[in-house]
Amino acid sequence: MIRALLVAVLLLAFGAVRVPIESSISAQHRSAYFHETKLGLDLREQIGQLGFLAALSGFRSLVADVIFIQAHVAWERTEWGRVLLLFREVTTLQPRLILFWDMAAWHMAWNASVAAMRDTTLPNDAMRRKAQQEYFALGKDFLERGIKNNPDRPQLYEALARLCKDKLGDHSAAARLYAQAAKLEGAPEFDERFAAYELSYAPGQERAAYDALLALYQRGSHERLPTLLKRLKILEKKLDIPLDQRIPDHEP
Amino acid sequence: MKHRAFSPVRIAALTGNTFTELVRLKVFYFLLIFALLLIGSSIFMAQLSFQQEFQVLKDVSLGAMSIFTSLLAIVATAQLLPRDMEERTIYTILAKPVPRYEYLAGKLAGVLLLLLVSLLAMTAVFLAVLFVRQEMLASETLRQTTGLRPEQVQEAVRALKASAFSANLLPGIVVVYLKAALLASLTLFISTFATSNIFTIFVMVFIYFIGHLQATAREYWLQENSAGWIAKTFLALVALAFPDLQLFNLVDDIVAGTTIPNGLFAQTALLGCVYTSVYFFFAWVVFYGKEL
Amino acid sequence: MTEPAVAVRSLTKVFPIPFRRTKLVAVRGLDLEVAPGQVYGLLGPNGSGKSTTLKIILGLVSPTSGSTAIFGRDSREVGSREAVGFLPENPYFYKYLTGAETLRFYGKLCGLRGSALKNRVEELLHLVGLQDARDRRLGGYSKGMLQRIGLAQALLQEPRLVVLDEPTAGVDPAGSRDIRDLILDLKRRGITVLLSSHLLAQVQEICDRVGILAHGLLVREGRVEDLLAIEDQTELILQNATPEVLAQIAALVEKSPAQLLETRQPQTTLERLFLEATNNTEKK
Repeated sequence: MIRALLVAVLLLAFGAVRVPIESSISAQHRSAYFHETKLGLDLREQIGQLGFLAALSGFRSLVADVIFIQAHVAWERTEWGRVLLLFREVTTLQPRLILFWDMAAWHMAWNASVAAMRDTTLPNDAMRRKAQQEYFALGKDFLERGIKNNPDRPQLYEALARLCKDKLGDHSAAARLYAQAAKLEGAPEFDERFAAYELSYAPGQERAAYDALLALYQRGSHERLPTLLKRLKILEKKLDIPLDQRIPDHEP
Repeated sequence: MKHRAFSPVRIAALTGNTFTELVRLKVFYFLLIFALLLIGSSIFMAQLSFQQEFQVLKDVSLGAMSIFTSLLAIVATAQLLPRDMEERTIYTILAKPVPRYEYLAGKLAGVLLLLLVSLLAMTAVFLAVLFVRQEMLASETLRQTTGLRPEQVQEAVRALKASAFSANLLPGIVVVYLKAALLASLTLFISTFATSNIFTIFVMVFIYFIGHLQATAREYWLQENSAGWIAKTFLALVALAFPDLQLFNLVDDIVAGTTIPNGLFAQTALLGCVYTSVYFFFAWVVFYGKEL
Repeated sequence: MTEPAVAVRSLTKVFPIPFRRTKLVAVRGLDLEVAPGQVYGLLGPNGSGKSTTLKIILGLVSPTSGSTAIFGRDSREVGSREAVGFLPENPYFYKYLTGAETLRFYGKLCGLRGSALKNRVEELLHLVGLQDARDRRLGGYSKGMLQRIGLAQALLQEPRLVVLDEPTAGVDPAGSRDIRDLILDLKRRGITVLLSSHLLAQVQEICDRVGILAHGLLVREGRVEDLLAIEDQTELILQNATPEVLAQIAALVEKSPAQLLETRQPQTTLERLFLEATNNTEKK
């Protein structure tokens, strides 16, 4: 009896010693982007009791995979509503996986949006266009939330930049996103170049675009790619750059 | 002859014996199930892209490793003491000049050895499957890309290999082991006062689930909020009495590409070792005065 | 004065019964001493406190009050068990080990290693007659074989004291004969033996001293001959006595103050009959 009491006291004392340490390690984990997943009640409603229990006890990414595969099947059947719901669950369960956010956005903005334009159940093109815009917005929403969960990685900035330029025609937003991506660790070097290209398409940003492109040009021959030279020439013309300041027509 | 209070030879003998006992219990069927699961899961992956395929493969493998080692730790440890007591082999061992902590240490070390061997075996199977799939896909890629510029082909193969294996997985696997070690030690502690191994397993499953929620309870407790004192006391008890298992669940995020800084990994690993040692000490405190 | 092999001083053990107010008193104020070289039998019905006493002596259970010591070292010291070998009642060893592996395992626990361990294992397998079964798993051993491997295990570190809990319980007569021979062999080699039993006839042959326990109390204690002798009676056993001789004896008795209580033919024991019969069939 005395021993049981002793053990109980020891157990709580051990707890008292370790709780602050655990709090600190846990906080550090979180700043290294671990344990971001919020397993809340709404998720439990979506994935069911069993899936929720599995997700709680070390099977989180596996549950995410299973739902991801379900989403894949739904995509093959072009059930867009279901694809959307399933991808919401997947990204809630595994918010640190770029692939899931990227796929979710791609399905919405590229696949579902195109399907919407061919949707014969909708009465007219106006309605179809409206549906398409909604899918673009859904894709954008996935990527924005993905970035919020992964601010440390360039891939989703790039994906959102692609969506902005290809689907929404918002080149200045795309340029901003590429520039953000370029600053992150592990970003490919073309991000900076792409930022400048996008800027060159954005109306009213010609001067800034010219400066950016010229700066890249002056870094050396490895930056002087055909597209860069072409965009630079167009801007030189648009901005009426004095002839002596223009770049030569042909690379020496 | 002077009696030695601590003898590595005795502990080694007990460890080896415990290991043999557990291996004979056919717990190694776990490994068979694991391999089957991996092979089975690659069948429905045929329709996915290679990034998706490797992702699922890694999730399935590491998820299975995590759950199997944890389960193995609980199930294997729970029956060690009851079995020795029921079959009275414990009398023959403790009637030798064997201190009780050495007996416990031998039991725990035997389980830890079993866990190590199983985890290494599972890692080997996992890496083998990953490697085979990677090579298959690489040769497929080479075939598909004939005629393209060599640097592009190399880039494609590099992308493929990067999504297959990364060294970041290794700390994740180490943490899986430490979590299992913690659970084994805690199970040993519970089994020193449990009335049967079923009771031990039942309690451990309970602890397993609560342990994954301990962090939440701890945060609510430490937060300055208006919760009543009853709720506060309850949360404090959960936080103080239960281990934080969520801290040892890094592998989910590591598979998703998150990297763990070395210093933080070292802290997490150290915490796991402390947990294991402290629970072992508790087990000894109870077992020291136990009437056999 | 030589140190006693086992000393039990006013030992009391009370087991609390969980969730009840009552307590179980297993041993009450027991005093006992076993001299070195003796074979001591602790007798008593089931539940009389024999096993508890042995467990306390071996440090498996702690006393409520009083103390026990082996060759002067308190039982609570782990080191006191260097000098003891123990065979529990109905021992089960690890079924997955062979006879030789079992002995090697326990040998390592006793601190033996290398060639010393190997030689000791061979020697003991030979002593208990299990050389042929050395590489068989214990799962396939008979009760008697298990008892013998258990005894071998108890003798590994060449103990000065061997404690046997019900060594012959559940073993067939031939097996129990073997075990008794082994015990007598131990005695010849100067090893002290403390055994518990409720099979009195078997104990009678081998014990020098016995103590009888009932309800945790030592009710009788002493040398076997002293305890069993009926001092005012004499037994005559004659071979080839003619009826005349018997009549003369009867007449002599009649004239004396003595009284003839019974004349009968001595009987062999059922056990001896069994052993003879089974030995004969073996020889054929």
